[in-house]
Amino acid sequence: MEIIAPVPKLLIQLISSAFQRCRLAEDLCRLSILLDQSTDKDSPITCISISDTGIGCNLEEFQDLKCPREFNGVKIWDGLLSIKTTCFSEDEVYNYHINLDEYTSNKRLKRQPSQSKNGAKFSGTEVSLSVFGSVDVLVAPIIGMIQKMLVLQILNVTMDMMVKQGASPGTQTQYVFAVNADKTPSFTASNLERLKSGLEDYVLRHGNCVDMLCDFCFSDREHLKVGSGTACHDENRKRTGGIMEVVIVISDLLETTRQCTRSCDGKTEVLYFDNFSPSSIPHVALSALKKVDWKSYGLILGNVNDKDGHVFLEWENFPSYVQIQIAIHWYHNQYPTRQKNGPGINLVKKGIKNALDDLKAKHEGFLLSSHARKICSYVPDLARSIAGLIFSSTDLDFKGDCLSVLGFQPQEVEREAVEDCIQRKIVTVIGMNERKPQKDQEAAPFLFFEGGSETLYFEDEELEGDYYSTSLE
Amino acid sequence: MEGKFPSPETTHLLQRIKEFSRSIVEDLAEGKSPEISINRFRNYCMNPEADCFCSSDKPKGQEILTFKREPQTYRIDMLLRVLLIVQQLLQENRHASKRDIYYMHPSAFKAQSVVDRAIGDICILFQCSRFNLNVVSVGNGLVMGWLKFREAGRKFDCLNSLNTAFPVPVLVEEVEDIVSLAEYILVVEKETVFQRLANDMFCKMNRCIVITGRGYPDVSTRRFLRLLIEKLHLPVHCLVDCDPYGFEILATYRFGSMQMAYDVESLRAPDMKWLGAFPSDSEIYSVPQQCLLPLTEEDKKRTEAILLRCYLKREMPQWRLELETMLNRGVKFEIEALSVHSLSFLSEVYIPSKIRREVSSP
Repeated sequence: MEIIAPVPKLLIQLISSAFQRCRLAEDLCRLSILLDQSTDKDSPITCISISDTGIGCNLEEFQDLKCPREFNGVKIWDGLLSIKTTCFSEDEVYNYHINLDEYTSNKRLKRQPSQSKNGAKFSGTEVSLSVFGSVDVLVAPIIGMIQKMLVLQILNVTMDMMVKQGASPGTQTQYVFAVNADKTPSFTASNLERLKSGLEDYVLRHGNCVDMLCDFCFSDREHLKVGSGTACHDENRKRTGGIMEVVIVISDLLETTRQCTRSCDGKTEVLYFDNFSPSSIPHVALSALKKVDWKSYGLILGNVNDKDGHVFLEWENFPSYVQIQIAIHWYHNQYPTRQKNGPGINLVKKGIKNALDDLKAKHEGFLLSSHARKICSYVPDLARSIAGLIFSSTDLDFKGDCLSVLGFQPQEVEREAVEDCIQRKIVTVIGMNERKPQKDQEAAPFLFFEGGSETLYFEDEELEGDYYSTSLE
Repeated sequence: MEGKFPSPETTHLLQRIKEFSRSIVEDLAEGKSPEISINRFRNYCMNPEADCFCSSDKPKGQEILTFKREPQTYRIDMLLRVLLIVQQLLQENRHASKRDIYYMHPSAFKAQSVVDRAIGDICILFQCSRFNLNVVSVGNGLVMGWLKFREAGRKFDCLNSLNTAFPVPVLVEEVEDIVSLAEYILVVEKETVFQRLANDMFCKMNRCIVITGRGYPDVSTRRFLRLLIEKLHLPVHCLVDCDPYGFEILATYRFGSMQMAYDVESLRAPDMKWLGAFPSDSEIYSVPQQCLLPLTEEDKKRTEAILLRCYLKREMPQWRLELETMLNRGVKFEIEALSVHSLSFLSEVYIPSKIRREVSSP
């Protein structure tokens, strides 16, 4: 018999709160999850305990938590959440029982006898509950959530989970989740830096933190193209304090030197974080994703699939060897984190646009609109002609000057290398032209006569030649 | 020609080409978008007041080519391709025709007009004429009559065989020692008319020079005519069919073409007179009805467009009147129609009488 639907959701909320408490402690913390299933096969009961060594909990967190005792006529649990918590400076460990099936506030919370800490200095929380049903259905969502939490690369928290399905060691599985120590940014790195690094790891592990980093991809971290963008509300507007951070990672499997076996279905996963907690994507962000001007980055958005809060973007005419991953984080940096303003749609759009622009600026010729790509089709020819003008000149000084301007030593230079270099430079200019505002495309004002009327007086220049001459000119 | 030392003009032009290439390379190296500024020239517009600047050979505006627009990028691409070829021609002292250049990369150029445009752009950019780029035309013009000259050392003695057609020289800048005893220059539209005059020994009876461009005149023919005008200061008469096509040819000789507007000063014949055929000539000279063909829709549209050109209003209103008459009557006819009564009517009666009238009228 499986555990019923509302339970995983409740657990995820509890784990998320525990994580916030650890994060805010700004000290090394541990978050442990225990799933202990009783041995009774007919009607198993799973005891769940979530403990953390973060700051003590604020009972406000549990104010909005709800989980009915029954669902569709099936018994879920007894509705009782048992909480033990203490702050660093407090002398006692406080105990509470919260009845999540009860809505009247004075009946909901029941204080239990507390225990003295006998002068010891520590903080932490332990939340326990028992539910009917077997443990299997819980493991995957918890792991999924932790995968996403690792993307935030909150370095001071280590997480582990123990799943017991009997007394003997053979029926026990332990998972330890830690941020990969090799490539992480330092403790003083910004949230954005960590989000970048975390998303890169996520991509390299194919989104699965339990498996090892993929050997093939990991050795080629360079083939990832990463862009990041930030957006905040203006200070004088009503909504203050929120920060929108967006990271986009694009992996191009064609560029890897070795073949990776992962299948690339071309869909883009969008991870959304609300105040350092993975969450399902809010409607505002979904609308923003649909409204971004993807076309000016050479992308055509097809479907936006929203499955239980997991969002996948599908692209049209998209190469199968390229994958895009997006992470969006909206936070206020305060605790408790509930009931803060959400981001406006424009802020989300702006964050995404900034990340796309960042990618474009860092990698020449990347994310060009289709217009720019059409212009790029002339690049090889242009480069060939320019290189030709340099190399075919009989003036050696001129040749030497041009080559050194391009950064080459005149003596050991190969024409192909020069052409390549010129190609790259032209593509960079084309990309740069795209990003610049189009101010200079307005017609200059005419000094003496109206600009508009002039154009009426000109016959199509081509007509003359077409009608009469056979190119005798 | 081949083997000669490059002229100072060539060296100077090569220098400027290098400067141009260098500036593009520098811009790219600095991450700047190159900008190529090309002056716009025109020799006419459709402004009904004709209070425009078309009669001046100064540029009328500029186009700035960049990599921001696809058509401009294409234009830059073609320009650079042709410039590369031109640099090689100049360095090696070789010449090539526009057609030759087209055939060097036909799949890239796709059409002769693309090459022509690139050559035009290069001429404007470096403020030179096409022959400076060592791009030559395959000459198409013919000349006969009371004329002697030398082209690149070769002697052309038209005087010696007055009714033999000589090719109009292609390297007009190499023409020297022009000697003439002619009283006027006659420009005819078609080769058939030219041959008729030759057969009728027109130049034996009339002291003149006869030139034809064999249809729409090419650059060499126009340049040669201009050269003769500058050196000999003779009146110039033009004989074309009485139809829009003929008029267009007349206008090209007199006012230059839009395509070559940047070089108009060296290509036009400023005081050329329109000898005929006029619409009124069909009555005066009794052109039979069957020779009067109706103007097609295309002809009418064409004529209406030509009538809008500012230079007609400003400089030759009487030509405009004749053209309007043609449009109103709705008919056209060829010069040959005038010979329907007698083969040598053209050479013996029509042309001499018209010229006499031109000479006597102010």
